[in-house]
Amino acid sequence: MKKLAILALAGLVLVSAALFFPMAAAGHDVNECDRDHRDCRENVLNMDAPWYKVMIFLTVCDIGLGKCILFM
Amino acid sequence: MIEAERALAFEGPPCRPAKSTVGMGMTRRAAEAMVVILSLTVAAASGGAKEQAVERWKAVEVAAAANEADEALLGRPLSLALDAECLYVADAQDCAVKVFSKDGRFLRAFGRKGRGPGELTFPSGVSVVGGRVYVADKLNYRIQIFDGEGKPRGGYPVPFAPDKVFAMGAETLLITGNPTGRRAGEMLLHIYGDAGRLRWEGLEARSSSDPMYDTFRNMILVCPGEEKDFYVVFRSGDRTILRFAGTGVLRGKTPVDERHAFRPLDMPFKGPKKRLLGFCWAAARDRGLFYLSAPEPVDGKDLGPGRRLSVIDKDGRLQAVVELPCPVHRFVVEEDRVFAIDDEGGLRIFEIVR
Repeated sequence: MKKLAILALAGLVLVSAALFFPMAAAGHDVNECDRDHRDCRENVLNMDAPWYKVMIFLTVCDIGLGKCILFM
Repeated sequence: MIEAERALAFEGPPCRPAKSTVGMGMTRRAAEAMVVILSLTVAAASGGAKEQAVERWKAVEVAAAANEADEALLGRPLSLALDAECLYVADAQDCAVKVFSKDGRFLRAFGRKGRGPGELTFPSGVSVVGGRVYVADKLNYRIQIFDGEGKPRGGYPVPFAPDKVFAMGAETLLITGNPTGRRAGEMLLHIYGDAGRLRWEGLEARSSSDPMYDTFRNMILVCPGEEKDFYVVFRSGDRTILRFAGTGVLRGKTPVDERHAFRPLDMPFKGPKKRLLGFCWAAARDRGLFYLSAPEPVDGKDLGPGRRLSVIDKDGRLQAVVELPCPVHRFVVEEDRVFAIDDEGGLRIFEIVR
């Protein structure tokens, strides 16, 4: 039961992440992924948020880059 | 037998002298202890006097003029610049530069979202000199130039996302950029001449196996100085102020008084624990004095903007501490006035009372 709950939660997190990040349209090349990632980082670095939160959002940018490259 | 010998013979053998006394019946050991205690007390007192030598200045809010225009609202103000009459604010959300009088009255705005001439995408830096307004048009990867009325007067592309821009005289700009962490040897500072010709690049980004750590270690603040000199302060991990000539030559390093203390922050992610040493959230310079705001703890273990400005002289000594009524994200200083952006993104004006 416990394992099932963990699996369900993990699945939910992955689905949420996949839905949350904008889908990379077909035809995106790696340069576009790079540029989106750079823009995401620049946006975060100018967030004026406390540093711990900035670290978390930078990680979200990195996940977005991974997703962009995977779904290219 | 002379008198002294007689005295010794009378009191006992010389190899084991009797306890000597130092007035008021005090033994020598007690006297030495007293001297040690006294000297420690004096040292502590002088240390305390040094602490007291740091003046505490208050900052009193100046009632800003009421602005009713929607345009006057700041969405995401990322940079402030002053000229003789006005305050210029780069607003990344509204893709505009907003101009205020020095009593906070909204005067005009220019720029709108786009990629064409006079249009901006995420303006993150602004600087004014000689009636020209220079804007770091970050996500268009270019510098745009406007006249004082907001009419576009050209610009040029740059091969990185420009973060802040500082006009060092007619046609010479210092531009900062955040390193991407993907290439070795990325530079944090770039000097461009007329028509967008690169004159100098320098201050290589620090790199290690941890890109997150590097991102924070490479965050810098720049303060323009006199005669085209400029100063660089790292936001964490380094307590020196670097002084550069307008040509890019490093002129000196000034360590900052340790009373402007590091604020540690444990980084949350993988690998062995790394500790960031927060040093400065924002910085400004005016009339030879640096104003550094120390990051302050927020929400328990995080570090956010502070409400105390350390006033540092050219030798790195802490001269005074200015207590602001609220935390500020960025600010510029002119004489006794501090123009600042608060936690809500609002423009606040403070008068320093010395």
